Amino acid sequence: MREQQLQTILQHMPAGIVTLLGPELRYGFVNEAMQALLGGHTPEGEPLAAHPGPLTADIREVMGQVYESGVSYVAKAFPLPLTEPETGQVVPRYFDLALEPLHDDHDQSLGLLVFAVDVTAQEEARQRAHTLSLETRRLDARLRVLTETAPQITFTMDAAGRYEYVSPQWYYFTGQPPTADLNAIWPLLIHPDDRLRVLYQSEVARTNGVGWTYEYRLRRHDGQYRWVLSRALPELHAPDKPVFWHGAVTEVHDQRELAEALRRGEEELRFLADSIPQLIWTASAAGFIDYYNQHTAEYSGLSPKELGPTGWVSLLEPAEQALAARRWVQSVATGQEYEGLCQMRRHDGQYRWHIIRARQLADARGLRWFGACTDVDDQYRLRQVLQTQYDELARTNRDLDTFVYTASHDLKQPLFNLRGLFDELRRTATFTDPEQGDLLQMVDQALGQLDGTLHELAATVQQQRELAAPTEQLDLRSVAEEVLLGLRAQVEEVQATIELDMGAAPTLLYGRANLRSVLHNLISNALKFAHPERAPLIVLRSSLSDSGQPLLTVQDNGLGMSLDTEIAAEAVPALHTFERQHPHVAGAGVGLYLVQRIIDSRGGHLVVNSTVGEGTTFSVQWFE
Amino acid sequence: MNHIVYMSRAVRPLSDQDLKELLDQCRRDNALHEVTGILFYSHGHIAQLIEGEPSIIDPLYEKIAADGRHSHVMQLANKPISARSFSDWSMAFHPLEAEGFKTLEGFFLPHQVPQTPETLTIADALIVDLVRQAVFGPQQDTLV
Repeated sequence: MREQQLQTILQHMPAGIVTLLGPELRYGFVNEAMQALLGGHTPEGEPLAAHPGPLTADIREVMGQVYESGVSYVAKAFPLPLTEPETGQVVPRYFDLALEPLHDDHDQSLGLLVFAVDVTAQEEARQRAHTLSLETRRLDARLRVLTETAPQITFTMDAAGRYEYVSPQWYYFTGQPPTADLNAIWPLLIHPDDRLRVLYQSEVARTNGVGWTYEYRLRRHDGQYRWVLSRALPELHAPDKPVFWHGAVTEVHDQRELAEALRRGEEELRFLADSIPQLIWTASAAGFIDYYNQHTAEYSGLSPKELGPTGWVSLLEPAEQALAARRWVQSVATGQEYEGLCQMRRHDGQYRWHIIRARQLADARGLRWFGACTDVDDQYRLRQVLQTQYDELARTNRDLDTFVYTASHDLKQPLFNLRGLFDELRRTATFTDPEQGDLLQMVDQALGQLDGTLHELAATVQQQRELAAPTEQLDLRSVAEEVLLGLRAQVEEVQATIELDMGAAPTLLYGRANLRSVLHNLISNALKFAHPERAPLIVLRSSLSDSGQPLLTVQDNGLGMSLDTEIAAEAVPALHTFERQHPHVAGAGVGLYLVQRIIDSRGGHLVVNSTVGEGTTFSVQWFE
Repeated sequence: MNHIVYMSRAVRPLSDQDLKELLDQCRRDNALHEVTGILFYSHGHIAQLIEGEPSIIDPLYEKIAADGRHSHVMQLANKPISARSFSDWSMAFHPLEAEGFKTLEGFFLPHQVPQTPETLTIADALIVDLVRQAVFGPQQDTLV
């Protein structure tokens, strides 16, 4: 009965049991679990070798050896491919196979008891753990590589402020030997000016259990202090206080230098802008002012905030505001320079004239406007005063011209009457004194001169009005021929020969009436001062001076003038005084004065060279 | 009575649907709180002027500035004004499909926006003209 029970228990045990008997290891008892394990075909009394099931040759050989030696053996986690009864799939499973030799009472080998326990779950867990540990090791290695190749020093510090770990970069950077005492050396490598601050900040952060970020100068292997950024965060194991701080030290020297240079540059520009006694401002691309200099606040009495992005317009004279605003919108739209003359209100309410000028600058940082308002009030008012005086002078001058013209015109009639009366007197009266004939001739002559002078005075005023006449390209020869046509009577009277040599510079850009007047006066002057003993020869020559400017010379072989040759160039202004060089020759000297005026007003000058008894040469430098 | 003017950039372009919802919602809310003004929108550029009691528009501006749909919010003005210049709150933008919008209350096409009110000071009108130009580009009549 107990035998039967034991049989049943063994049969249904979750572990597999099989007895293999004799040297051939013939199947004996096989329980259900083992039956499933061995593939179901285990005929009692048949040798294992004939029906091995999934048992491979190596395990069967081990079984034989255990039978031979009588020493038990356990094959740990032995893989056996099993077929799932439902799906028919083959899945690997792992078993601990205990091989126990069976003996009879006389210690003779009977066979083997094989005990199989399924350890698949344990084995899989072990394998997973193994894979995980491999992965962990790989990640650890990667982290180490990352930590030790990144261009920064990483460190771990404990709550007492002692370094637990520092990456090799620290040694590279500082040039310290690997044996250096980190805790003693590190503070010494911090720049003396930064040391106390750094140690204090680190201490405070550790006491409060928070991270830190600060910059300081750390001594490099070459002795240079370089700016570094130290950042660290506490490792938190709530609810306990942090035990470690992990952090990194990054070199930021170049960035910091650059930022510093930029900041200094900007500061200097600001200082410059603030020091200039002008209103300076900058505006965004959209036209909103984002900076006013110090002087703007001083001038307007308003802070940049009070002025706001468009407040400048409210400083203008109210009547000018709308137009200025419209023009600014337009400048912003087109990018064209803004320029204007406006009155701007000072803090005391006085409006002063300013030139406003703004230009656009486009660079890598985008588009911006830079503007300046320059106080030109004093200049503006001075200009107004000058303008008033100029207007007054011009009017006076005009009045004078009118007076001269009117006077000469008004005197003509009495002169005409005088001549008529005189002719009448000569016709009706009889003169007995023989000298009276000369007297009569002298009166005639004086009357003629008076007539000429009046005529020329009128012509002067007339010319004065034509000075501003427009210029045109003139052919010198044809203008000269026109003039000679007008002087034909005088030329014929003295039998003069006139030569025109205009080949070197045939044309001239000048006022037509002016040129005619110059030629007329110079030629008639030469004709008037002809030498009584020889036929007059007048040569007009147009040429280019050394500096490439047009030049006209009028040369005669007449009486000549008594000029000191040294002051020849300055002599001409003396003609202003209407000085008569040759009292016996008809003419008032007004003609040359006129020539002088015309040439001066066009930016040239007149030079005269003369030798008494030989002739005179006038040189007209048309332009300086 | 104060007014606030700001400019900003939309984080992503607003669709016709977004704009219509914004118009409906803002007109309702603004009418309720007696807020008037105008909003310009084009190609991600936003500019708005709002008028109202500081106790209303200051918190409103705070809320607007914190709105995640736009960024680069730049306040150009926040100052007392003597009177309102806008009778209600309206919006101006270019819808992709203009059809559905023409009849909407408080909507303008950009070129139909009325002239900047004369009741604004010239400096304030200049702000409005410049933001309008920054959002919609130069107006034809300013390009001589």
